[in-house]
Amino acid sequence: MTTTTVDSPLRTNPRALASGSLTAVRRHPLVVVLVAMVLVFQLSTGSFVDTANLRGIATDAATIAIVAVPLALLVISGYLDLSVGSTLALGGLVGGWLAGQQGQSPVVAVLGALAAGAAVGAVNGVLCCYLGLSAFIVTLGMLTAVRGLAQQLFPLPLSDFGTGFAWLGGARIAGIAAPVVIAALVLAAGALFLALTPAGRHVFAIGVNREAAYLSGINIRRTPFALFVLTGAAAALAGAIRASVLDSAVAGTSGAGFELTVLTAVLLGGVALTGGTGSIFGVLLGVLFLGCLQNGLTLLSVPTFWQLMAQGVALVAGAALAYFGPKATR
Amino acid sequence: MTKPPRIGPASRRRFLTLSGGAVAATALAAAGCAGPEKTASAGKAADGSPAGARSLTKIGLDYPFTQLPLYTTLVKLSTAAAKKHDVSLVTTSDASNADTQATNLTTWVTQKVPAIVSFPMVFEATEKIAKAALDAGLIWVTYGGSLENQSADIQFSFLEGGRLLGEAAARWAEEELGGKGKVAFLTDSTIQLGRERTKGMIDAFTKLAPGVDVVAREQAIDPDTGLSKSNAILAKHPDLSIILGITDAAAYGGYKALQQAGRKKDDAKTFVGGQDGSAPSLLAIKQGTFYRASAALAPKDIAAAIVGVPLAVAAGKADPSAEVPITLVRRSDGAKIDALLAQNA
Repeated sequence: MTTTTVDSPLRTNPRALASGSLTAVRRHPLVVVLVAMVLVFQLSTGSFVDTANLRGIATDAATIAIVAVPLALLVISGYLDLSVGSTLALGGLVGGWLAGQQGQSPVVAVLGALAAGAAVGAVNGVLCCYLGLSAFIVTLGMLTAVRGLAQQLFPLPLSDFGTGFAWLGGARIAGIAAPVVIAALVLAAGALFLALTPAGRHVFAIGVNREAAYLSGINIRRTPFALFVLTGAAAALAGAIRASVLDSAVAGTSGAGFELTVLTAVLLGGVALTGGTGSIFGVLLGVLFLGCLQNGLTLLSVPTFWQLMAQGVALVAGAALAYFGPKATR
Repeated sequence: MTKPPRIGPASRRRFLTLSGGAVAATALAAAGCAGPEKTASAGKAADGSPAGARSLTKIGLDYPFTQLPLYTTLVKLSTAAAKKHDVSLVTTSDASNADTQATNLTTWVTQKVPAIVSFPMVFEATEKIAKAALDAGLIWVTYGGSLENQSADIQFSFLEGGRLLGEAAARWAEEELGGKGKVAFLTDSTIQLGRERTKGMIDAFTKLAPGVDVVAREQAIDPDTGLSKSNAILAKHPDLSIILGITDAAAYGGYKALQQAGRKKDDAKTFVGGQDGSAPSLLAIKQGTFYRASAALAPKDIAAAIVGVPLAVAAGKADPSAEVPITLVRRSDGAKIDALLAQNA
């Protein structure tokens, strides 16, 4: 009996490998910008790719990635959630309150935070998916309403959440910070969901054309509703992680402006605001782009106002590149 | 061909009707709760003279930074202090927006709220409104600074707060580090308060500890930014020994970054300090960690001034203004920390 080994064309053919890489770069031109940015920061600071610094970037970016993944799915399906900053604050406060003042176990605290976030997401989902209200208006309103609710419930800062709750933000799993591991799992789950499940394909279908999706037998309400709930829960989880890292949470300031940061990462990653287009790999690139930019500018000791200008210019450049490059995966 | 459903047209209509009714009911209820404005004694002061004695039944507190925990504490303590004098306290909701603040203040002047205590976000922009208030015979008290057009003011020296912290850290560096080491400043250059605190802190520190290397001056006023900026600074300068913050919140982020970098909570060669006297920072100081100092204002003193100064103006007192002292709180100030924590509780 003879055994035949079939090599992948990429392994046997360097030209195919090069062509594949080129296609990936064409789909995600942000890769080039990211690599160039890392090189520039490393050459000018000498410490950008140090392990400690990369760890810091990954930890900072983890909470953005955790929210960016479900938000990207929501945007691909043609919706939007601007309330994630306030939901993050509410999640952190509820989790911290349960762990600290109520003396609950960290598991209960995290579940409480997730429930609070999911509740916000469910309200968004009902109003947008079932009552057909504008996602922009609804979630903008919820951004303010949830912030007000958080301030009303927790007017004073919470702190001292105990060592159990500190695990969530401070533990290391195989040498990697727990938030980074959670973010990696969320990214993997999001990518697999989009690529391998029928519901993942439905997300694209709903985003491209809702009527056509309906006529194809897709439930055009349930999937986006579930994504709203997931986005709320993810934002609350990110809030609990931040509260755990800082061992404190403040209703008025936690997560302020976070919604724009996450949305920027999602759009930079090539997800179209009009829906129907995007990939989780692109979202990862967007998140890394923002994390590296912020960190590099701090390492370079760029003065505050120049930092703001540089961030703005880099974001416009990145977005232009994503726009003029070939469209990402559908 | 089957038409796809428009998402819930009937239920949407019903929803809009119900929500419209709910909003209207809430508005009516809120209006009912607020009640009609009682006759304030502003009319008695229609001549605009602050010296004429008059009674006061209502004070408007305009504190724009509603997102800060201090806002809640101030409103609570000021309301209690006002109640003791049979005065009601009303507040604005500016959400840290200078335009919203201007609109709210103009509304108060139009409504003739008899005494307004305002913390202007942009002092120059508030002059006109303050003048309009005085022209309408109202009492105008400037909080945190002075205007040309005002009845009196409540002063804090933000510069002094920064100076106290900078000096304390510099002295510690001289004693514990032999005048060497590395310092990072978490600063603010966006508002006057921040600029003054930053200047006081950096000038005092660099003057008294010239041998300490200033490795970073980064914008950070909240704990998230403080953490993220400090992480980046620590990656480049792992031997960073001092972090000073323009707010306790930012400094607390730096404190957590140092801990994440492996620094023990009570490391003898590390100093973190901030300004405000916020609860998490006070607790960290009390526990004997390397969070060693905070330049704090006592909310009770501020609340007393918020009520006392307009009353003094109304009573025609010669020098009605007040200066609220800023004190540096350290681990040895256990009683002071407890008192501040109680006021924030």
